[in-house]
Amino acid sequence: MQITGMYWGSKLLKFVDFPTSEVLGPEASGDQIKELIGRWGEIFVKPMFKGGVGKKGKSGLIGKANNLATAMKEKERLYFAEHIHNNVHAKAEGVTFEGAVPAEYEVYFSITDSTKYRAPVITITHHGGVNIEELPPNQLAVIPFDPLTGLKGFVVSNALRKINAPQELISPLVQNLPKLWELYHYYGMTTLELNPIRMMPAGKGRLLPLACDFKCAFDADDPNWKRLGLPSDLDASSYSDFEQEVNALRTYQGQSDVFVINPQGTITAMTFGGGANALVTEQLGDSATISSDFGGNPPYDKMHAISRIVYKYWLAQSNVLFIIGGKANNTDIYETFRAMADALRDHFHSAGPQPLYVVVGRGGPNLIRGMGYLRDTLDGLGLPYQMFGYDSAMSEVVNFAQSVDKWMKAGGRAMVARSMGIS
Amino acid sequence: MHQQGVAAFPHYFVGINSLAELATRQDRVCVLNITGGESRTVTPVSHTYSGGNVVCGTAPGRSGTVMNTPKGNIPVYGNIAEAMEAGHKFNVVVIYLPPSGVRDGVLEALRINPYLKKIVILTEKVPVHDARIIRSLGQMYGVDIFGANCLGLADAHNRVRIGGALGGNAPAESLRPGSIAIFSNSGNFTTTIAVYLATAGWGTTVSISSGKDVYIHYSAAEFTHAFHNDYRTKAAVLYIEPGGYYEKDLVFEKPVVACVVGRWKAKLTRACGHAGAISGSGDNAMAKEKWFMEKFGVDSIFTPENPVCSKKGAVVINIAHLPAAMTAVMKLNETMPDFKPEGNLSLKCWFSNTQNIDLPEHLNPPLVRAIAPYDKQIEGLGEQVGGVFPRQSMKDASGASMMDPKTQVTHLHGTSVLDASTHSFEENLVKSLTREYPGENGAMLANVVLNAYVNQHGTFGLTATDVARAAGNSPNTSLCAAVALQGPDLAKPARQAVGALVELFKKSGLKDPEKGDFDFSAQLQQAMAGETRNLLVSEAECNKGNIMLDALQARGTRSVFVDFVKALAQESGGRVRAQVVLAAVVTHLGWKPLMRKRITTLTMKNMPWHFRIFSTLVGAAANAEQHTNEHFCDVTNEELISDWSFTETAHLALFGTRPNKGELFALSILLGLIVSNGPGTISAQGPKGAVSADGPEAPERVQINKGYIGFLSHTGYAHGGNGFEAIAFLLERFRESELADPGDPEHGLNLKEMAASYAKEYMVYKKRAKAEGEISYAKIPCINHPIFKGEEVNFDPREVFVSELLKNQGSYNVFLDFYHELVQALYTAGVSSNVYCVNIDAVIAVILLKMLWRPYKDRTISESTMETAAFTTFLFGRMVGTAAEIDDHTNRGRNMDTRTPASQCSYVG
Repeated sequence: MQITGMYWGSKLLKFVDFPTSEVLGPEASGDQIKELIGRWGEIFVKPMFKGGVGKKGKSGLIGKANNLATAMKEKERLYFAEHIHNNVHAKAEGVTFEGAVPAEYEVYFSITDSTKYRAPVITITHHGGVNIEELPPNQLAVIPFDPLTGLKGFVVSNALRKINAPQELISPLVQNLPKLWELYHYYGMTTLELNPIRMMPAGKGRLLPLACDFKCAFDADDPNWKRLGLPSDLDASSYSDFEQEVNALRTYQGQSDVFVINPQGTITAMTFGGGANALVTEQLGDSATISSDFGGNPPYDKMHAISRIVYKYWLAQSNVLFIIGGKANNTDIYETFRAMADALRDHFHSAGPQPLYVVVGRGGPNLIRGMGYLRDTLDGLGLPYQMFGYDSAMSEVVNFAQSVDKWMKAGGRAMVARSMGIS
Repeated sequence: MHQQGVAAFPHYFVGINSLAELATRQDRVCVLNITGGESRTVTPVSHTYSGGNVVCGTAPGRSGTVMNTPKGNIPVYGNIAEAMEAGHKFNVVVIYLPPSGVRDGVLEALRINPYLKKIVILTEKVPVHDARIIRSLGQMYGVDIFGANCLGLADAHNRVRIGGALGGNAPAESLRPGSIAIFSNSGNFTTTIAVYLATAGWGTTVSISSGKDVYIHYSAAEFTHAFHNDYRTKAAVLYIEPGGYYEKDLVFEKPVVACVVGRWKAKLTRACGHAGAISGSGDNAMAKEKWFMEKFGVDSIFTPENPVCSKKGAVVINIAHLPAAMTAVMKLNETMPDFKPEGNLSLKCWFSNTQNIDLPEHLNPPLVRAIAPYDKQIEGLGEQVGGVFPRQSMKDASGASMMDPKTQVTHLHGTSVLDASTHSFEENLVKSLTREYPGENGAMLANVVLNAYVNQHGTFGLTATDVARAAGNSPNTSLCAAVALQGPDLAKPARQAVGALVELFKKSGLKDPEKGDFDFSAQLQQAMAGETRNLLVSEAECNKGNIMLDALQARGTRSVFVDFVKALAQESGGRVRAQVVLAAVVTHLGWKPLMRKRITTLTMKNMPWHFRIFSTLVGAAANAEQHTNEHFCDVTNEELISDWSFTETAHLALFGTRPNKGELFALSILLGLIVSNGPGTISAQGPKGAVSADGPEAPERVQINKGYIGFLSHTGYAHGGNGFEAIAFLLERFRESELADPGDPEHGLNLKEMAASYAKEYMVYKKRAKAEGEISYAKIPCINHPIFKGEEVNFDPREVFVSELLKNQGSYNVFLDFYHELVQALYTAGVSSNVYCVNIDAVIAVILLKMLWRPYKDRTISESTMETAAFTTFLFGRMVGTAAEIDDHTNRGRNMDTRTPASQCSYVG
């Protein structure tokens, strides 16, 4: 799950007492907005996106207002704003009103886990508020630290000295930034980014860091973020109904990762193994309805439940049911094939028969028993099929499935329907 | 804070200096959560392959137990400390713990065991939070960690595998000794790549499944160092997915073929597949391809059509191109493959069925003989006749029936009861066991054998049933007597005959036993030569057998099996007994599903027994006086067997007459609708419990007839007998009317007025009952439904379906019409807030009452007889579902699997 924006960001930062800009949500009344403008002189109006959305500012999706009328106009403009970034389409659901914090410095700060250091790292610069990838290396500090001791003030201090940050920044940041480790490490985050942190004068020459934008990502495998009590639908919009239904089955025993590739696809691939997932999805391209990884030796019940969901959502439009994986190490082919076969039979019974071509490529324990069971089921359902041994190149089997799909589109589907007695 | 390991890594700890040290014969392993689901199957194989390298395992609460392996028992302890106190020494810990326990497992291992050198973490979905701590701990203690979410390590030269299941359940099959090291982000592809490489003659030294979490504890950098130092390894394959900068700065001193996949993953906004395979702009697949191309000095991807490579290596994006790329790179290094190429990666179709569709040639590849040992297994599959269902607990579960909670429609072997109601009784009975409806010919065959055993004249069972009836028992209780006497020995000859026929014909290639031109001369010879002849042919004349054979001929039935037993009798100068005709017919009926493995040979063998019980239940429903030597309910045995359908016979037993077309149709609907209500219904629990108690794991000992007794004893006045409630309600409404024929739309009754008057009456009653605080006041039977409610006007779709069926047949039913008027009247009178549905039970009641109306009005039957008829009708219909449940539980169940653990029982005394 990813969260962007200060509406939820400010709530999360409050957990660790990190100062933030003042934020009102879409429910704010005119009076409240007016008072906010009164306090800060100017406010930002930002669309609220669910999930991770980048580069909002550059797309003109941040409004400014110094009076209520402009604020309301910007609210209207941005309330359902649409945004496309990195192939991801997002639609806003509401806006926030955020006090414009006066500041001399804008600081960029993030914590993430680095594959280079295999440790958590902080990235910091006082030239923040911009795309940090555009900064020269000497203006940016990337410092790993030991998770056993956590993020300490000296790590922050050393980082700031490394990039020659102004003296007045160091003390307030050393006091406040280590608090973020608590939020990051103990609530299951994999990324936490504040950009910008605006350094607001707080009297007596001191500066107060106020987080003015927020981004974080949570680890789906870490239950700790649930302690934050975030609403369950916060990230739901980025999952389709199908994905949510499968995710409900997520346990550590057996994979159940799915991703909708093309809602209009015509090949539904039940893929086993992360490697097969990468290869098959790449080769199928837009023909695929979903990308999936069901490896990891799922037990019969789980595989059966997953298969039923997959069939329910995708089979009607599919020409090819494609069961594909390498030579399994541990996944019991008999159990998984039996589960898929039984679910297919159940699906045909409940949803009625449909023309479908089944292509299989697989290896592993109990292979022939599994293929035999599937064969008997498919024979019983009257479906055409081909099953290939694991000594056939997986990519060739994918090509074969694509050829079948092409043939099905060019009249084959009707022929299969006729052979099944479906008019 | 890290220990100092090999000098090449001054900034962090790495202990492994050469790949030769990864998985050695000297390594001794302790497996955490050794008895867990995955380890249970993997560890014994690893232990055996590696010459017995697992010294102990842990599993909380299982201290003192052992894990059996072909290489001896592995002792199990509660935790590592206990294992070490017992004197075990090990330098490797393998972790199969659930994700939440992995970090603590690592910490325990590091703290307690000073000899520890390697930890292999198999567990998937370890939180990043824990992974960063694990990394730090490993560094602090100076221990190499592998994984997580990996499949461990294997060394084909040493014949050692540590951790997961590389090479599957037959490691030696895939892990052929050679000169290539594999480092793979994908566990499955580690083995698959080894298999692919062998097709070009390349074997392996070590195979490492690195895992592809965000933290890869033993990564490509450490591998590369050890790869350079292993003299056995001449080249390496790196299988790399997007995400992470692990490979960016690698410098290779030996040839490498890198396979980089996952360009499409750049589109992902969250991980799918491997947790760490999600990339930013700098570490996506394209970027990684570029890293490797620069290292190898090549300008494009290697493909068979464009084999671009250098002495340093090649980049592929399809694992199928790895073998060719490796050969090409090694050729530039003047190195030959390790052994002769084994097989190839061309498409090999092992199973195919085009369903006779005219496919283009390229979509119809020829079947190829599979590589050993799969070829023999496929042959074995051909040898195996019938299906084999895995055994499991079948408590409250069924492989035969299921009720859709949304529609409330039960399916039996995939056919909804609504569809079942469009089939005849005999068709449904056959389908309950064969899972497929018989054709016209099959139904005729079934009618002959089912009718042949209806007449129970002179049997103790019939006498006992009559005595039970006279003692005032309900019909289900009385019928138990007849069924009890249908013990295993009675059906034994027919069951043996079925076994003999299946054995004779299983490899004959017979596909459709209806096609009479099948040449069974070989089977005849085989039968004559052995004992089989005596199972199929007898010396004594059998009158019933002759009647059945004549009836089959008279009906013009076709069956290879009937022809065969006749031919065998003729050839060997014997006679065909009735039991053998029964056997031939059921073999015919079950043959196609048996060949398709939809049913088991056990089901086949039990079919005659079920059939005998079907006949017995229908026959014994009629009083003993209706059975004479020559007649059943005044119909001669010959006529019954040669001319009647079993549905007609059921009507005869229930109502004493042969039904007309409309009555036959109505009875079929009625019986079809009530075949099953899913495995949770009491009448299904009874037979399932009976089978479970006999122990289906020794299926030959399951007493099928006792299963039916379980069914009968689990019906009663509240379940099965309650159908009469609605009849009684309707009788109350119509008793005084002049209704002559409930099927005549011109009945002359004012149903609207009758309904309105009753609605008012009911309103008064309901108000009074409520005022008196009587909460459980009498409800009107067969209206309203917990699911089909809440609309302005409600319908039970099942009732709508059947009403339509009846309407299309031109069949009118005044009682059903009344019910529809009644729900409207109840709404108008203010009894209900909307128009209730007329539910499916009403259909059953009105059909039944229509059948019974005339004899009731003629005073030839009493209300109590009507109640018996209603109850017995239920028993007939539900017998279909019972057969399916008994057979299903016998085939799938475990001994005593329907019991409820004491912990789930409650004491309410």
